[in-house]
Amino acid sequence: MKIKYQLAVLLFISFFAASCKKVIDLHLSDSDQQLIIEGNVTDVNTTQIVTISKSVSFNSTNSFPAVSGATVKIVDGNGNIRNFVERSPGTYASSAPFTGRYGQKYTLQVQLNGQTYSANSVMPVQRVNLDSLSENEQTFGNSTTKTVAVQYQDPSNQVNKYRFILTVNAIQAKDVFVRDDQFSDGRHVEALLYQDDIKIKTGDKVEVEMQCIDPTIYTYWYTFSQQSNNFDSTTPSNPPNNFDGKVLGYFSAHTTQIRTVTMP
Amino acid sequence: MGRLKLGDFKNNHSKKPTANCSRSKAFMHKLLFFFILWLGIVAFVPAVFAQKKYTISGTVKDATTGETLIGATVKLQEIQENGAATNAYGFFSLTAPEGDYNLAISYIGYETVTQPIKLNKNAQVNILLLAGNSLKEVSITGNKRKNENVESPQMGLTKLDLSQVNNVPVIFGEKDVLKTIQLLPGVKSTGDGNTGFYVRGGGADQNLILLDEAVVYNASHLFGFFSTFNSDAIKDVNLYKGGMPAQYGGRLSSVLDIKMLDGNDKDYTVQGGIGLIASRLKIEGPIVKDKGSFMVSARRTYADLFLKLSPDSTTRGASLYFYDINAKANYHIDDKNTIYLSGYFGKDVLGLKDNFGTNWGNQTATLRLNHIFNNKLFLNTSLIYSDYNFIVQSFTTNNNFKVTSKIRDFNLKEDFQYFINNNNTLSFGINATQHTISPGDIQSNDNSSVNPKTIQSRHGFEASAYISDEWHATDKLNLLYGLRLTTFSLLGPGTINTYDANDALVSSTIYGSGKVVKSYFNPEPRFSASYKVNDLSSVKASYNRNTQNIHLLSNSTASSPTDLYVMSSNNIKPGISDQVAIGYFKNSANNMFEFSSEIYYKWMQNQIDYKNGAQLIANQDVESQLVYGRGRAYGLELFLKKKYGKFNGWIGYTLSKTENLFDAINNGNYFAATHDRIHDVSVVGIYKLTERWTLSGTFVYGTGNAVTYPHGKYMVGGLTSFYYPDRNSDRLPPYSRLDLGATLEGKQHKHFHSSWTFGVYNAYDRKNPYSVTFRDDPDDKTRTQAVKTSLFGVIPSVTYNFNF
Repeated sequence: MKIKYQLAVLLFISFFAASCKKVIDLHLSDSDQQLIIEGNVTDVNTTQIVTISKSVSFNSTNSFPAVSGATVKIVDGNGNIRNFVERSPGTYASSAPFTGRYGQKYTLQVQLNGQTYSANSVMPVQRVNLDSLSENEQTFGNSTTKTVAVQYQDPSNQVNKYRFILTVNAIQAKDVFVRDDQFSDGRHVEALLYQDDIKIKTGDKVEVEMQCIDPTIYTYWYTFSQQSNNFDSTTPSNPPNNFDGKVLGYFSAHTTQIRTVTMP
Repeated sequence: MGRLKLGDFKNNHSKKPTANCSRSKAFMHKLLFFFILWLGIVAFVPAVFAQKKYTISGTVKDATTGETLIGATVKLQEIQENGAATNAYGFFSLTAPEGDYNLAISYIGYETVTQPIKLNKNAQVNILLLAGNSLKEVSITGNKRKNENVESPQMGLTKLDLSQVNNVPVIFGEKDVLKTIQLLPGVKSTGDGNTGFYVRGGGADQNLILLDEAVVYNASHLFGFFSTFNSDAIKDVNLYKGGMPAQYGGRLSSVLDIKMLDGNDKDYTVQGGIGLIASRLKIEGPIVKDKGSFMVSARRTYADLFLKLSPDSTTRGASLYFYDINAKANYHIDDKNTIYLSGYFGKDVLGLKDNFGTNWGNQTATLRLNHIFNNKLFLNTSLIYSDYNFIVQSFTTNNNFKVTSKIRDFNLKEDFQYFINNNNTLSFGINATQHTISPGDIQSNDNSSVNPKTIQSRHGFEASAYISDEWHATDKLNLLYGLRLTTFSLLGPGTINTYDANDALVSSTIYGSGKVVKSYFNPEPRFSASYKVNDLSSVKASYNRNTQNIHLLSNSTASSPTDLYVMSSNNIKPGISDQVAIGYFKNSANNMFEFSSEIYYKWMQNQIDYKNGAQLIANQDVESQLVYGRGRAYGLELFLKKKYGKFNGWIGYTLSKTENLFDAINNGNYFAATHDRIHDVSVVGIYKLTERWTLSGTFVYGTGNAVTYPHGKYMVGGLTSFYYPDRNSDRLPPYSRLDLGATLEGKQHKHFHSSWTFGVYNAYDRKNPYSVTFRDDPDDKTRTQAVKTSLFGVIPSVTYNFNF
């Protein structure tokens, strides 16, 4: 719904305003280094990964310091403890593969320098199937834009939140795609993954990962997606996450399913 | 004795501008008591002691068009230095002892009329003024130029001179009162092509925008690039930044009172203009000569017609336009009764064939009856309808839907004016409004990804009563003081949820139709005074409290048609603002120059923002998505205006600060509002070069908007993510712009007149920032870069205007 409205704005601006973009120099003061914890538990039997890193100042290069020496474990709602080992600096892997169970609550606990950080996430009660991918074309002026669409059947009478990750020729699109079922509960949904980061061409190998995520993580990614939104000038903010302490990142128990298609 | 009491009232008042609720309630009762006592004294004491007095009343009109003249000065030269001003319907009333007088009537841009009057009974006169020859400088000899801005107790008021509006250069050549208002001190815009305005730190939704008394909810076309007000149809524009008179209520920060032309009741005339992107046409004329008239004014943009020429079928199928129609009719039934019917209808349409369509617009209708009870008591009754709706439609097979959202008001107003004597004019009245907000109705077909859904409508009833007196206490001291009482009730039917401080659902109750869910009562004292230091200068002070029960949910700076309105409720408290201001006003060179400086401080309570990630559109539980806070704004405004002469115009400067506080944002510390603008300069100059050429220019400079920039970055999910330390702690680069205009009057023909208007917007091609976004550097993926988006470079325009 919002996307349709943004299209309207885009149409308007492209017609009336000779809008121009220019790279500018900003002298932004350096912020304190922030701790970033990113943890995922998925519904496939695999080595689950938690990464811990630090932020850098805006003007630095994108090399983010790894944080070593943390004690990491995931506890499920039944009290089962999965310990993690540091596989490479800042990357912590579960000591044995395990499968995230539907409807199960998971708690990530990280101990670092005498501080404990913990976050809860509930694996959605079912994996909603990604039925298919399709191509959608839009022509405006002389240019044709190819957009990937996902199809799935939303289960009725339950709250469903989704995240999609689009990869084109092994490069992940910068846009964050989230969707919920506030308006489409129980419907067969076709959702277009609008983005202007990668121009998709015929023959491109397109991969879409569909995740069913919990509501807190939905808010996290939704807020994340607004950081780069320049249509409605929403004030950007740090996405609110599920950690109890002052830490950036997130912990998500989610389902995962990947489909690929070669663009016609 | 009466004056003594009023003195008490004033002192109490200035001591407690921010009194808390319970204290202020007791104070209010006391105040009300003194007020009523005072009125009794004013009204009846003179009647007992005075000598035989008579009243002369009447209406002042334009001799050529029959338009009533608002704010014309009427005085009995022998006994009055300043006289009285005609009201919003051109009516005046003067009372004096029996005798022979000269009645002088003057109005800016018109020839002064002086008429001998033998006052030995109550009399009624209707006065016609001839417009000064517009090609020559208006003759003002023999009558002192008006120094109302020094004299009047009113503060924070700007009357927009429409002949100046017509000469101020604007984008695409579409003259626009809202754009001109943004050139006044204390009024800010948020950047290019936006008609949204912010008065003394208030939000864009805190302006009461009235068109013939009807509230206009969304005053912008095409995302704010144009305003809904077609200058052709407008007679009078007043902006109150503070010290609002008690007859206005419902919004926190300002009142923009726009009145439409009544229509020419002597002759049929046609006026129009052809511009680059829009054309307009106005027809007016008598219904019954000298008794009634009509005016219809319409305009439409036609940029979209060029889309039809495109070789590409999708582009041909795009629609992109707005149109609006202003219409008004009036009929003078007899000397005591005049009826007016006026309306506005506007629509924006944007869409792409087979893909999506969206349209939105306002409709207003006002039916008014002026009734003159006697030469001292004037009543206007208004029945007002006001409506704003938007529709978003998607036509694609799998995502077919139509969302409709609407806000609608019915309003009944009774406004009395009682001209007690030459020193007191009493205004009082009542106002009852029924609000209905239908936040969302979704329709869809079976194949759609979207479910049909209807969000419950909300109903509210707002009633208010006010009383206000303008009192010329002494030759030096003038007061305007009053009280407005407002009640608001949220009414059933509906399922009403209550949320706690953490927005968790506490209870859910079903209310029947008309059942009161929650009521609020708010007294709003208003006070404004001027003290004349000498004939050319005065000091003024004002205090006013305003409340607001209709709130706009938006934290975006762009005017968005899908902005959502909510009412005060069990969860949302009425917004309250208190403002104090003091000012110094000085005129010089026979009132050719007006100078004013005002300092204000404003406290705002119960301000609304929404949580991160909030879903607002068509959300039944939208009230769970809100956070509440407060705000403060303070500043200094300087304004120098040259009113007459070949060269006229003004310079405005504002130094100000606007800050908000929300518990959940910025660790509960004050942060700058997006529209906080520390320095703001505007210069407007109009120069009459020759009989036919008029040149004009405007320059604006302002501190950049407060924005939130990232100060750090990190990686999550394979994406570069940004770290924002504080809300709005950075600034966009400063905004500045120079616009130039020129008007060429055509040769004067007997029945036909034409002119050309040329304009250059943003003459030195300043790339003012619309937004700054951040991305990975495409050439070096390990680096991040800031990208500034600007909307407009130099934009030339030309418009052809005609009338016959």
